[in-house]
Amino acid sequence: MAEIEGSQGLEAGIVTLEVLRREGRLPPPEILEKVAVPIIDCLEDIPCTPCRDVCPTGAITMKTMIDRPKLNWEACTGCTLCAQACPGLAINIVNYHFGRKSLKRPGYEDYSLVMIPYELVPIPKKGDMVAILDRAGKRLGEAEVFSVIKSPKFGTVMVNVLVPQSIAFQVKGVEVKA
Amino acid sequence: MQDRRIPEHPILSWERRNPVKLNYDGKQVVAYPNETVAAALYAAGVVAFTRSSYLHRPRGPFCMIGKCSQCMMRVDGVPHVRTCILPVDDGMIVESEEPHISDYPTPRYELKVEKQDLSYDFVIVGAGPAGLSAALSAAPSGMRIAVLDQSPYPGGQLIKQTHKFFGTKESFAGTRGIDIAKDLVSRIKDYPNIELYPMTQVIGYYPPEGVLVAARADGVGKYNVLTIRAGKFLIAAGAMERTLAFPGNDLPGIMGAGSAQTLMNVFGIRPADDVMIIGAGNVGVIVAYQAKQAGINVKAVIDILPKTAAYIVHAAKIRRMQIPMLMGYTIKGAYGKDAVESAVIYGMDRAFRPIEGSEEEIKVDGIWMAVGLSPSSELLSKMGSKIKFVPELGGYVPYRTKYLETSVKGVYVAGDASGIEEASTAMMEGRIAGISAAMSAGRGTDSMAEERRKAIEWLDLFRESPDYRRIKEGISKVLIQEAA
Repeated sequence: MAEIEGSQGLEAGIVTLEVLRREGRLPPPEILEKVAVPIIDCLEDIPCTPCRDVCPTGAITMKTMIDRPKLNWEACTGCTLCAQACPGLAINIVNYHFGRKSLKRPGYEDYSLVMIPYELVPIPKKGDMVAILDRAGKRLGEAEVFSVIKSPKFGTVMVNVLVPQSIAFQVKGVEVKA
Repeated sequence: MQDRRIPEHPILSWERRNPVKLNYDGKQVVAYPNETVAAALYAAGVVAFTRSSYLHRPRGPFCMIGKCSQCMMRVDGVPHVRTCILPVDDGMIVESEEPHISDYPTPRYELKVEKQDLSYDFVIVGAGPAGLSAALSAAPSGMRIAVLDQSPYPGGQLIKQTHKFFGTKESFAGTRGIDIAKDLVSRIKDYPNIELYPMTQVIGYYPPEGVLVAARADGVGKYNVLTIRAGKFLIAAGAMERTLAFPGNDLPGIMGAGSAQTLMNVFGIRPADDVMIIGAGNVGVIVAYQAKQAGINVKAVIDILPKTAAYIVHAAKIRRMQIPMLMGYTIKGAYGKDAVESAVIYGMDRAFRPIEGSEEEIKVDGIWMAVGLSPSSELLSKMGSKIKFVPELGGYVPYRTKYLETSVKGVYVAGDASGIEEASTAMMEGRIAGISAAMSAGRGTDSMAEERRKAIEWLDLFRESPDYRRIKEGISKVLIQEAA
């Protein structure tokens, strides 16, 4: 573990939920009822367009190549392609009501499926327990790996974990022990 | 001997078959055919390659791309060989040089030099993103093109980038640097009129006839000295990593961030177990991430500025992986006997004065410098191109037109040698320079003119980004306005 905590704040690369809320990056509750949604931690005007280019429904738009992605919540189908394509690994996909609507496992009604791009080793397996981390690297606990999918086109692995709805938007990364 | 090779990596794999053996100061070192001598020694845990000539301090590689002189050793009797760009060969005898006791020059070796006269329509120096893109864009003209590079491996610094690139479809966005390099090189091979010269170092330029002299290494101590005449030249020689002045900054284990990338990603070798990175800009945070991919513990990324200069997405990636970033910190000194063992850092206030009581000692066996790059414009200067020091572009850069022709007719520049930017812009500049060289030779086509127009338009748009304000300012200082 790190011996030094490090500087805090956006100036030192730590994004917070408040910042995302202010930027309109957290979905309105009625959207969560419908589909999985991308949480896009992209806060600068970067000349970068893969998320827009890969989106099959045109839900992500940019005014020019140098613009933040703007997401049309209504048009998004939650297909996860943007999360696989993003060069900054800045996009998680949250299927908020996964426990109640899809999983149907007793005791998991209030669980979400959070899909996280991952480019480290070891690659976890379905059923493994992994540590879940927030945007500052703080451990939020452990989570069960529901599935692992390697993007054939982009080579990025999506690690999909079951986490309580209360922290579904807080979780940003996973740590897998060898 | 230890084996510091990385067994498993999320993105990369390395072919490790048919091992060969090196003799290093009497000890046997195992190496693999696609490794360089310096990489193989690092894999065996050797970090001190030579000694300074006056104080006899131990020295290790700093750049790993053939630009510095800290990896020089005696190989098969030949002194001062840059081991970082010398591929291994079975039975090679590698010796540390002790310049203070060496009997250099000695009769222990014989240089075999052959001379060859060559002539091309277009000669490109540098097989990185700019040089390769230029060759590809100029090739449809039918010009006979040579691309020279001192490295054994074409692709420049793309060959060590594991992350997907920003940009748009036109600039390989979403593709990893390693894959862009493969794509460029494979397309070069489709053109019979492009010839790649790896392991070929330019050693001089002789006006007024305009003869470029290069030495092509053909094994140790064997050189083909090429005298090359060409109608057009493009210098895309890239950049050199900078370092900082602090006590102990020459200890082995302290190297450029790009050097660490070469070891980790080109050769699959862990340069250190515990590392501190100086500089929290894009290079610093990306290399921290790559270190984590290679299984290296990053103890801290420090930066003297209060705010990271990196894109937040890149910085955020390492923060959620628990890598501490210390803003407003700098290094006081590096300590260790034969290699770096620790670093002392301290905090600074907004006026860059040390904060009392903020000193911390960090145990590390590696310190990587990500404190910027300097354009490699020496050759352009030698060729007579007018040069100016432009801080916004990272140092001494040539004046150029919007078509990237320097003040010397027929001599072009592209990529980091024209000013420090990124690989995406280097590729676009390469296209513009390559097409311009062909067009000014009267060999352009309509579709090339259209490709150039699009590339210029793309670059202009790309540089509208807020992060490029400084770069645009810098370019305006060295832009030659052409008469209409």
